[in-house]
Amino acid sequence: MIDSQQASEALADINDVVQRVRQSRIYRISGLIVAMWGVLLFAAYIANYTWPRQGYTIWTATNLTGLVVSIAIGVFTNMRSGGKPFPIRSLITFLLIGAFGIFCSVVLGNFGPRQTIVFWALYGMLFYAIAGLWFGYAFIAIAICTTALTLIGYYYIDAAFLLWMAVAHGGGLIVGGLWMRRS
Amino acid sequence: MAELDEVIHQPLRLRIMAALTALPDGQGLDFTQLKKLTGATDGNLGAHIETLAKAGYVAVTKAFVGKKPQTTVTSTAAGRGAFARHVATLREIIAGSGR
Repeated sequence: MIDSQQASEALADINDVVQRVRQSRIYRISGLIVAMWGVLLFAAYIANYTWPRQGYTIWTATNLTGLVVSIAIGVFTNMRSGGKPFPIRSLITFLLIGAFGIFCSVVLGNFGPRQTIVFWALYGMLFYAIAGLWFGYAFIAIAICTTALTLIGYYYIDAAFLLWMAVAHGGGLIVGGLWMRRS
Repeated sequence: MAELDEVIHQPLRLRIMAALTALPDGQGLDFTQLKKLTGATDGNLGAHIETLAKAGYVAVTKAFVGKKPQTTVTSTAAGRGAFARHVATLREIIAGSGR
C-alpha cells in the first residue's frame, strides 16, 4: 500500500496527462479550423487583388463559407465525442463577435478598404490571443506573428498589400493550423 | 479500503490509462500520440501497452494509413472500470490521511 503523499503524486500525474490530452484534442480540432480559414483568406486576398471591385462579394462569401464550415466541424466533432450535436453557444459567440466587428468597422469607423482588412485581421487575432489564455500558447504565438506581419504590411507595403496579406494572414493561419495539429 | 490495481499502478501504465480514459468512449490514440502525451520511449511504451492488453484493459489495433503502419490503442470497458476504481482508491488514501 502507498501513503497519501504518493497517492497525491499519482493523482497529480493523472491530472497532468488529462490536461495534455484535452489540449491535444483542442489543438487538433482548432488546427483544422485555423488552417481552413487560412486557405479561405489566402484565396480571398488573391481574388480581391485580382478583382478589386468585387471586394464586398468576395469577403461576404468568404466569411459565410468560413462560418458554415467552422460550424460543420464543430457539429461533427461534438457528435463524435458524444456531446450536444449543435454548439449553439459557439455559434452565438461567433455571431456576437461578427456583429460587433461590423458595427465598429462600418457604423463607427467608416473605414476604407485597407483599414477594413487590417481591422478584421487584428480583430480576429485579438480573439486568438484571448483563446490562448485558456487553450494554449499556440493561439498566442499565431496572434502575435500575424498581428506583427499585418501591421508591417499596413505601414510599409503599398500596391502589393493584398498579396502581402494573403501570405501573412492566410499563409500564417495555414502554417499555424498545421503546427497546432502536430503539437 | 479497496486495493490498488497493481497493473495500473506502475507510473507509465497509470499515465497511459489516464490518457486513454480521458477520451470519449471508443476513441483511441495512435502510438506516436501516446508516446508524446505520456513522455515514454518506444520500447518502454510497447512493453507497457502489452501488459495492459494482457490484463484486458486496452485493445490494440494495427492498420495501414497509406503505406505507413499505425497502431491504435483504445481503453476497454474493463480498463475504464479498473482505472475509475484505482483513482477512487487513491482518493480514499488521501481522504483517510486527512490531507
